Amino acid sequence: MRHHGSVGTRILAVEDDERIRSAVKLALEDEGWTVDEAESGEQAIGLFNDSAPDVVLIDIMLPGIDGFELCRTIRRTSDVPVVMVTARNDTHDIVAGLEAGADDYLTKPFAAKELSARIRALLRRIRPTSPTHERLVFGDLELIPEEGKVLRDGDEVHLTKTEFRLLCELAENPGKVFSREALLDKVWGYDYFGDGRLVDVHVRRLRTKVEADPANPRHVVTVRGLGYRLQT
Amino acid sequence: MTTAAAEIPAVVPETRRVPRPNPRRKWGLRRRILLIFTLGALMLSVVLAFVTYGLARSSVVQQQDEAARGLARSNASTAAAELRGNPSSAQPAVDRLVELGVQSPLILYNGDWASGRTGFDETQLPLELLNRVISDGLASRMIVEIENEPYLAIGYRIQPTAAYFEFFSLENVNSTLSSVRLSLVLGTLITTALGVVAGSFAARRAVRPVGVAAQAAKAIAGGRLDTRLELTEDPDLSVLANSFNDMATALEERIDRDARFASDVSHELRSPLMTLSASVEVMDARRDELPERAQSALDLLKSDVVRFQGLVEDLLEISRFDAGAVRLHLEELLVAEFVRQAVRISSVPDTEVDVSERSEMVLINGDRRRLARVIANLIDNARIHGGGDPDVSIRVVDADDQPVSRVRIAVEDRGAGVPEHERTLVFERFARGGVAGRRAGNDGAGLGLSLVDEHVRMHGGRVWVEDRLDGGQGARFVIELDAEELDE
Repeated sequence: MRHHGSVGTRILAVEDDERIRSAVKLALEDEGWTVDEAESGEQAIGLFNDSAPDVVLIDIMLPGIDGFELCRTIRRTSDVPVVMVTARNDTHDIVAGLEAGADDYLTKPFAAKELSARIRALLRRIRPTSPTHERLVFGDLELIPEEGKVLRDGDEVHLTKTEFRLLCELAENPGKVFSREALLDKVWGYDYFGDGRLVDVHVRRLRTKVEADPANPRHVVTVRGLGYRLQT
Repeated sequence: MTTAAAEIPAVVPETRRVPRPNPRRKWGLRRRILLIFTLGALMLSVVLAFVTYGLARSSVVQQQDEAARGLARSNASTAAAELRGNPSSAQPAVDRLVELGVQSPLILYNGDWASGRTGFDETQLPLELLNRVISDGLASRMIVEIENEPYLAIGYRIQPTAAYFEFFSLENVNSTLSSVRLSLVLGTLITTALGVVAGSFAARRAVRPVGVAAQAAKAIAGGRLDTRLELTEDPDLSVLANSFNDMATALEERIDRDARFASDVSHELRSPLMTLSASVEVMDARRDELPERAQSALDLLKSDVVRFQGLVEDLLEISRFDAGAVRLHLEELLVAEFVRQAVRISSVPDTEVDVSERSEMVLINGDRRRLARVIANLIDNARIHGGGDPDVSIRVVDADDQPVSRVRIAVEDRGAGVPEHERTLVFERFARGGVAGRRAGNDGAGLGLSLVDEHVRMHGGRVWVEDRLDGGQGARFVIELDAEELDE
């Protein structure tokens, strides 16, 4: 039995079905993670504040506060990576989950190995760009990769870790068009069969934070049929 | 058929049957309306023409007749006066009349005839007229034909031994009547033509709601379940529109319910599957600690959890198809790279993909995840029924000197093959039937191949099964898709 996860990395798993919760906890512990369980959104919020997990795993269908609401609540105070778990792979649920602030999603039933791979991709340290570029400036936007900071007009903008990494990938080669597949690979660690919706929703979220007018983006620009690029 | 119907009378309740149209009446409603209008217009105009002609003729003839009789009477009295002045011969009286402008006078006087114009003599007068005038002493008239022209011959007895006759040309009556005839024939033709036009217009109007309904029904059959007929003010048509719409709504609800049920079922199944697959994963991580028999049991459990999972996914996808909720996410894919990747995530990841040189740089337009599922399902099918590892090959269909337009992805196995008569059947849902009996294992074909069929068809391609190309035992599943060359 090999441990892939770094021991001590805490995962908060929110799932109302007790059997699923137990089985997932067992499987994730096998993968080497430390798992805290919560059976409702309310309990999850309490645990989240006490134990400060590194990753949160949220089932969308929860009694009381549902998964979307829980995700939005967490996002108000934290940029912790969130993985949504859904029993439906309908576009509606997935997009709603991502828009609520989730970094990635999985459809039940998933393999613990797959979830581990996703978590590792989310926790991957942000590669610093070449040391000469300690600060990258794009018009009113300023990127400080070392400190994980983004400034717009001098004010700090709060991005989630995934949004930040997405911006950094685009900033590494300003003006170059990145296909959805390339971004899925670089940011989320997906191979050939990733979901383009992940990229699209994250770009949308990123725009609401870094663009003066998100409806008319000047920095993160869509290149029809090809993908996205960062414009100075 | 007839004997069967006689033996089993009225099994089907009457209300479930829509009455069949009379088979003898092969003409469509539109044609029938057109025919009725045309015949109606024709008959009406012919009757009108005949009546009009009859009235016109009698009125024209009567006018001419009265004028002629008046003239003849006054000419006759002139002749009588002349004869009284010169009783020896009738010739001077005739000459006098000709002088006065009378065209063709003729007088019988004391047994001798005097004629004022050559060709118009007593021989032209019918015997009957002569008898009635001379013997009976009656003023009479008859129509005679002289040199093929109609004339009205009028006779008066002016003295006991003298009679006056005169011919009046009916030429202008005839020409008037023939122009009346001509215009009536033309009128009839025009009216009939108008009848045809009105008929076809009315027919189209009458049939239009049927056409609209037919189109709507077609749209519904094609999956657009929200199709409805527009409501009209016409009370006759609104009955059709209303009941059609009610039917469509009922159908939509029912299909919705069925699709939702299938979708709900597969969602509900996912929760226990989650527990199962996570638990199996935990056990599998400790496989080495288990006794041999438990290991075998674990392997069985593991493979069936995978199969169960695939079945639930397929069921969900099928329910999406049924609900018409499948939206392809199309993108240009390099077919060779795509198939290699798809094979890599299938159940036999090390399957060899044989790509011809020409198909290496070929693009297809497809939904990446769905087509990957197609490949995965075909490989599953080959693994389960095909007795071991399949071979995958990619070839361009077009000849070497032709531009690339189609590409074939084939999955060959070494199983029992699919007999000719089952080659469409295998693509049906849960198709097993005779196929299962001959094929190894008890693994049903399930939904896999029917999904392959639905997906490929949605991509505008086709899929079929045939014999292996090398003639060996086994089946060859072929997907054919539109393709184009990557120009660089």
